[in-house]
Amino acid sequence: MKFFEKLSQIDRRWIFLLVALAVIVPLLSRMGLPDKPGKYSLQLFEAVERIQPNSQPVLISADYSPSMMPELDPMFRAMVRHCLARKVRLIVMTLDPTGAGLAEDALRQIAPEYGAAYGRDYVFLGYKVGAAIVIMSIGENIRQAYPTDAYGTPIDSLPMMADVRNYADIPLVVDIAGSAVINSWVIFAGARYKARVGAGCTAVSSADYYPFLQSGQMVGLLNGMKGASDYEYLNQQRGYTSVPRVAGKGMDAVSIVHLLIMGFIVLGNIGYFVAKKNAQPK
Amino acid sequence: MFSHDPWVWIAAIMTLAIFSFLYKENWFYRIAEHLFVGMSAGYAMARAWNNALVPNLFNPLFADFGRNWPLLIPALIGLLYIFRFVPKFSHLILIPIAVGLGLGSGLSIAPTIQTDIIKQMQSAIADASNVSAGGWGLAWGILSFIGVLTTLSYFFFSREHKGALKVSASIGIWFLMVGFGASFGNTVMGRVSLLIGRVQFLLTDWIHVIR
Amino acid sequence: MKQKLPLLIVLVLGIFFTIQFFVPSRASEVTYQTTLQWWLVMSSFAMVLALGSLINHHALKIKRRKEGWWNSWVTLAGIAVMGGLGILGGPSFRMGWANDAYTRLFLFVQAPMDSAMFAILAFYMASASYRAFRARSREATVLLVSGFVVMLGIIPFGAMLWHRIPDIAEWVMMVPNMASKRGILFGIGLGATATALKIILGIERSWLGGGGK
Repeated sequence: MKFFEKLSQIDRRWIFLLVALAVIVPLLSRMGLPDKPGKYSLQLFEAVERIQPNSQPVLISADYSPSMMPELDPMFRAMVRHCLARKVRLIVMTLDPTGAGLAEDALRQIAPEYGAAYGRDYVFLGYKVGAAIVIMSIGENIRQAYPTDAYGTPIDSLPMMADVRNYADIPLVVDIAGSAVINSWVIFAGARYKARVGAGCTAVSSADYYPFLQSGQMVGLLNGMKGASDYEYLNQQRGYTSVPRVAGKGMDAVSIVHLLIMGFIVLGNIGYFVAKKNAQPK
Repeated sequence: MFSHDPWVWIAAIMTLAIFSFLYKENWFYRIAEHLFVGMSAGYAMARAWNNALVPNLFNPLFADFGRNWPLLIPALIGLLYIFRFVPKFSHLILIPIAVGLGLGSGLSIAPTIQTDIIKQMQSAIADASNVSAGGWGLAWGILSFIGVLTTLSYFFFSREHKGALKVSASIGIWFLMVGFGASFGNTVMGRVSLLIGRVQFLLTDWIHVIR
Repeated sequence: MKQKLPLLIVLVLGIFFTIQFFVPSRASEVTYQTTLQWWLVMSSFAMVLALGSLINHHALKIKRRKEGWWNSWVTLAGIAVMGGLGILGGPSFRMGWANDAYTRLFLFVQAPMDSAMFAILAFYMASASYRAFRARSREATVLLVSGFVVMLGIIPFGAMLWHRIPDIAEWVMMVPNMASKRGILFGIGLGATATALKIILGIERSWLGGGGK
């Protein structure tokens, strides 16, 4: 019984070490656990599938910072690959200043994979201050929020933007975000301007968006690294890319760390009940 | 084995500087922390200048001042923020704040009621009365509806929680606990994912042990 | 007057834009569009406030030689270098070398630190789970069980253990979790609306400073 009591006083750095090993070992060993895409990842994927190639564009708002990169960047990249592979035009913008750098870097790498031309197949509008205001401005006229793209080129001189005025010309809006800005997209773009909104969020916040999924205010949801992994898997399965999966590899490590943390909780509770029992007067 | 790109080395060193905090607080971490704060602020400042002020204010003013001069009005109101640092006139900062609050409040009331209240209520009722969803579908719809009502009753503090309200609030707590448990389960994945991202970078881009 | 003018601005703008949503006339639409455009410009200046406060804080720390004051130089240098390079490399000056340096410093210095800062949370969460996550009451046990089911449902091991676990996790997310989150959402919606009305009508005045007096 003393064993459990001693165990509960262990230096936290031993726990840190175990967590580090639980991440490193699966990454090195490539367990390749089976994939089964979640229902809401599939719904978002299918929403993009239904958009006609070379027609109206999808708008993706990359509202995430490097702190959420491992979950959201693979998601963004997978969605960009999906759109460009299907020749679905793409408008990329961001309401997070650091999201601009990450999205720009991803586009710079992915566009050449599909021979996508800037201005014809995709545009990058960059960052704009004032989340809700920007979302509402796009609902009136995208030129109001973004008179130019991120590089200072007037929007009107970009061929694919010629027929795009507001959400009525954008069949799907996807917000990939690590903050509550997703709510603003649902409230303003969805409720006020009737845009179809999908989202990719950090796992931390995913549980909060289920009411929107259930009510149909969101067409689909990618939940953290699992959602990103699902999207990468679907892209590969449909032959849209052969690039190695980033989030997919990470899911092996997620599995092991989940088991480890569950083990910690069980051990901690055994120790707690043993200590409680010992403290009771005999 | 190790990367030959000096930038990758810098990224790895900065990552390790932050991770060094796990052992204990140290000067290596403190420098990285302060550098991070400064760089983030500078980065955001440049983005705001390049992507907001230049295209939305300066370009229109320089291109056609006669037509776009009214933009000077919001610019001047915005500039009042500077008076935060002039104690004698610091009250002037209340003007841009008031404009933001007035617009924000006015513009958000109707869509918030529509999204968070009406649409959610419609959906909850529709789900609880959807006979075509079949036995289990209807049962879960009714359960969800009960969950919503009991959760709301838990937050009803205008009356003392006793009698029927106590029973309802107690059931509400159970629903809330399931919700918090679900959030916890997802949070574990979220936090672990962030660590995996960094470790993947160190093992893939820096040490090249994963390809 | 110092407080009356801001209160009047909030009242007028708040009432006008609440009503505007329900009155889709040409005049109200034009006013709405112009206001959004103006608001975009105005909110860009909020950066001055944030940046000014940060610079002020660190400048004072250096001036008063507070503990760790030399670290403040690092912060100020970070602001100057990133801000300077970003503006020089942007559409106003278009200096290629500055844009390149700005991008690289972001991707290889700022982003890794930001990422690592949040990555260390995984360690603390694991440690906290071990030390503090106890089934002390029935409610805590429900939370624990729900957390376990969701954690197992997300990972492939869950399905390997029993093929119905992902379905159960999905049910937990979509039925009881959704119900509680919807209840909270109602509360947020009602609270946000009530707060907005209180601000518009001048009942909530804490934003004026002085504790609302």
